[in-house]
Amino acid sequence: MFHLLGGIFLGWSLGANDAANVFGTAVTSRMVRFWTAAALGALFVVAGAVISGQAGIRTLAGLTHMRLDQAVTASLAAALTVTLMTLLSQPVSTSQAVVGAIIGIGLLNGQLNLTGLGKVVTCWVGTPLGAAAITLVLYRSLGYLLNRSRLNMFQSDALIRACMLVAGSYGAYALGANNVANVTAVFVAAGMITVFSATLIGGISIALGIVTFSRPVMETVGKKLVTLDPFSSLMVVLALGITVHIYTLVGVPVSTSQAVIGGVLGIGLVKGVNTVNRRTLKNILLAWVMTPLIACFFSMAINFVSHLQYVPPI
Amino acid sequence: MKSLGILSFLFKKEHQVEVLINEYLKTFTVTQEKFLEAFQACLKSPRGETIDFLISQTHKFESKADDIREEIKSLMYSKALIPDSRGDIMGLLESIDQIPHFFEHVLYMIQTQELHIPNFLIPDVKELIRISIECCELNVKQVTALMQQKDGIRALMKTIDTNESHCDHFERTMITKLFDSDLDPFLKLQLKELIVEIGNISDQADRVSRRINIISMKRRL
Repeated sequence: MFHLLGGIFLGWSLGANDAANVFGTAVTSRMVRFWTAAALGALFVVAGAVISGQAGIRTLAGLTHMRLDQAVTASLAAALTVTLMTLLSQPVSTSQAVVGAIIGIGLLNGQLNLTGLGKVVTCWVGTPLGAAAITLVLYRSLGYLLNRSRLNMFQSDALIRACMLVAGSYGAYALGANNVANVTAVFVAAGMITVFSATLIGGISIALGIVTFSRPVMETVGKKLVTLDPFSSLMVVLALGITVHIYTLVGVPVSTSQAVIGGVLGIGLVKGVNTVNRRTLKNILLAWVMTPLIACFFSMAINFVSHLQYVPPI
Repeated sequence: MKSLGILSFLFKKEHQVEVLINEYLKTFTVTQEKFLEAFQACLKSPRGETIDFLISQTHKFESKADDIREEIKSLMYSKALIPDSRGDIMGLLESIDQIPHFFEHVLYMIQTQELHIPNFLIPDVKELIRISIECCELNVKQVTALMQQKDGIRALMKTIDTNESHCDHFERTMITKLFDSDLDPFLKLQLKELIVEIGNISDQADRVSRRINIISMKRRL
């Protein structure tokens, strides 16, 4: 079980960071209390991981076969990459870091499932684009319905608040279902735990991150997005949930941060304004390329260092 | 909130805010009526027990409106409504609240300075007050339409804008008449100040109306 600590740590940091994408806006704008968001987030993350998390785990575990020490190495390399990119203030995707680390191990083992890898990379590109398209459609259709409804100002506010809780919970479910693979798939690949145990341990570690450390991240991320009006924020969170859920069904772990950025871009398209500037887009593109490359390098380097042996002089 | 069933139970605070805003609007309307009564009494004589009573009544309802506004404020910041609406409603109520203050200023000016409005100005002053009060009534209709998310806010804004232009025209005509008269120069300045203060009512009603229109536009998706 000691070997699992690396994965649990990665799950904890994932929960602390990515819960902000789901409930950040609602909490920062005081639409939802932090503890309500944290409790719902934790509950639905575990539910999502256990109920729908198997497909992603199978995809990542199927990218390559690895030994237990290599699983720990991949986990550590991903965690280091996430930490490094966070320190550099770059938008980071845990999914990309984990896949990069697995590729590193796969290259060393001379065994890599290129079909699976192609599917994963295609989904990465599709995440922000899909989220933008879904946001656009949701905003137009639900906005039309809300405009046509006979609800008064107070009813419509109450409805938006209620929907925010529902959309946030759905987003948390999708987050757990999709991202649990990042946390424990490597241990399944190493044959250390079963898929079900992986979903349970991964889900609980992400939930732990949400409950213990997501508040400061929520406040930071939420403030960046709070300039959106409440209906737009709701559409972004809902689109995030749907996008990530679709990729969960496909069985590919994707980044919720990139889904949020895609959603905000979609709002910009609807309203005809720039919601994401060129610099942000440049950073996302850079992170897309750099995160898996760095993780790949780290996993190979750690693996190399861990196999160095002291040869005494003759 | 009836149509939302379970949501009306979950979002009790929103319903309370709605009830309080309606109460605020009723108090605002009563303040207008009390002001009108007090002002008409002032036209006959600026001093007397009746005047004091009517002015105190105007003040009483103006204070009551302030109290309701404070209650709405604390209720909203205890997480009722979504943040955008909180800011919009508070800004709007603060803007509406300026109007009863102008009512009070007008009455206090007449009472404390013992201002006798000369006969040649009385018809114009009455008309100025009538149009200003009409603007305030239209403001109430606008707020109701905003809360119900109904159409017609823009049309009401245009009517208030036209009324406000009429008031500006009256103000200028009255000031010209005033300075063409043989009244004491000091009294002329006092009366001019009073006319400008009355004119402020429709100006503020116009500002409120524009604000409501912006809030309404913001809420359209």
